[in-house]
Amino acid sequence: MATTGNLTAAPLAARPIVSPVTWLRIAIIAAIVVIWEIVAASGWLFRDVVPSLTKIGRQLFLILTHPDFALQVDVGLGNFRLAFDLMIPEFYRHLWVTMAEVATATAVGGLAGLVIGLVLGANPFLSRAFERFLYYLGPTPKIIFFPIMIMWFGVGPGSKVAMGTISCFFPVALTAAAGMRQIEDVLIRVGRSFRASTWQMVTKIYLPAMRQPIVNGVRLGMGVAVIGTLLAETKLSNRGVGFLIINAYSTFDMPRMYALLILLFVVAIGANALVARASRG
Amino acid sequence: MAAISATRPVTVPVEKAMEPILVVDDIFKRFDTQDGGLVAVDHVSFDVVPGEFLSVIGPSGCGKSTLFNIIGGLLGGYEGRVSVAGETIKGPHPSIGMIFQEESTFPWRTVIDNVAFPLEIAGMAKSERLEKARHFVHLVGLDGFERSYPSELSGGMRQRVSMARTLASEPKILLMDEPFAALDEQTRLLLGDKVLQIQQELKQTTLLITHNLTEAVQLSDRILVMTYRPGKTKRIVDIKLPRPRTSEIVGSDDFGHYVAQIWNDLREEASKGLKDDESRRGGAKRK
Repeated sequence: MATTGNLTAAPLAARPIVSPVTWLRIAIIAAIVVIWEIVAASGWLFRDVVPSLTKIGRQLFLILTHPDFALQVDVGLGNFRLAFDLMIPEFYRHLWVTMAEVATATAVGGLAGLVIGLVLGANPFLSRAFERFLYYLGPTPKIIFFPIMIMWFGVGPGSKVAMGTISCFFPVALTAAAGMRQIEDVLIRVGRSFRASTWQMVTKIYLPAMRQPIVNGVRLGMGVAVIGTLLAETKLSNRGVGFLIINAYSTFDMPRMYALLILLFVVAIGANALVARASRG
Repeated sequence: MAAISATRPVTVPVEKAMEPILVVDDIFKRFDTQDGGLVAVDHVSFDVVPGEFLSVIGPSGCGKSTLFNIIGGLLGGYEGRVSVAGETIKGPHPSIGMIFQEESTFPWRTVIDNVAFPLEIAGMAKSERLEKARHFVHLVGLDGFERSYPSELSGGMRQRVSMARTLASEPKILLMDEPFAALDEQTRLLLGDKVLQIQQELKQTTLLITHNLTEAVQLSDRILVMTYRPGKTKRIVDIKLPRPRTSEIVGSDDFGHYVAQIWNDLREEASKGLKDDESRRGGAKRK
């Protein structure tokens, strides 16, 4: 017992509290902050193109706390009715819109992509006939479809969901089709040798064997759904985080724009971490 | 009852003069390729009696795996007939359990769930199938690893999981295609011991496809030697080594005698294969 204790304790004691990698990261962030502040204070650039960090910080605080939007609350229960205006920072309302758009787009595009991908993966004939279209259309910038989507679904969230859906569909369909073909042939032969039915083959062999590619595809799909949705919001919209950002830009409120970008960045990292965690479980 | 081809040397010992459980009758399989066709199995016939351990040995490219897939019911489009207890097979037969050469455990299932797979497919209730699976996990000596995933096990242990899984379906005939091909020699010999022990314990009728001479002599009652392309029966050799056996028999004189005898046949075929391979490569270079 004592020897094993010594063995594990020794490397722990030798290891520095903060690793060199962490020091390097801190140094790089510090350098960026310092350079940013120097540029902001120097007056080399047009005023507010690079606003000082304190200005950005103040905006960040205002965006998150200043109640500038009246949310109409109206709850009814029997004869009892409660209606009032709840003042909230409008950022939350726009964030909610964007998140709902992305979630809908991922669900619709992901499901459609999964079904199409499974069909193409299972059927070599259909795969030869149609998969090439997916390969060509997949990397095409989906924003070129935006005018059509506005005509079909209007300037509201509908056209944003459509953009996110188109973006999400391709990576999910392609990874599902490839994932199906990559299943080890021997696993399929094992299933057949035990005389599994088609339904048993799908639920007990194909889908479990494809779990990782499907999860990866949905992750990739959600990532591009965020891009598609936000891009569409910045082009033409009246709601959403993309709309807020482009609005700040067009009124030349640079500190606010930077603050919104930072918030968006944090939300994106959080969403990605959540999906990564869910996919491991 | 079994149609025995004229070329097959009749070497049926007295104790085996019972009804064969597996009859492989005049199998002929040809694959269509771009330069004509390739005859993989050329009129091979043999039969296996209950409790017997028969090995089919031959050089690479003699159609052993084709034969394995035909008997397992995974490959169609052949001439001839495979029958189990008098019934001609059409597709995978419930009396035949296959163990594959490749890594074939389900990586998303624990050891116990892997072993319970065939029982689950057959619709057995959960508690019942887990109990039965536990028995077969014990049989292959993997007690304590029930909840482990295949990725946490060694190659030899994973192959034992595959073996337990197939045994759990309680096949009348165990059909193995080089199940130890991916393992090192020592693991292979020790696993051979395990197979012998299980086979003797369950009186399991077994058909082993292999290219490994030591393995074949160590395990078998009879060995069928196949020729190189097209795969025909060259000879059937009775292995009259005492049972129960272990891998210790590998050192005995009789063992060496059998190995030498079969190697004599096999060498001829294997060198044909080698020559064929070399000339094909040479031809490719000249083009």
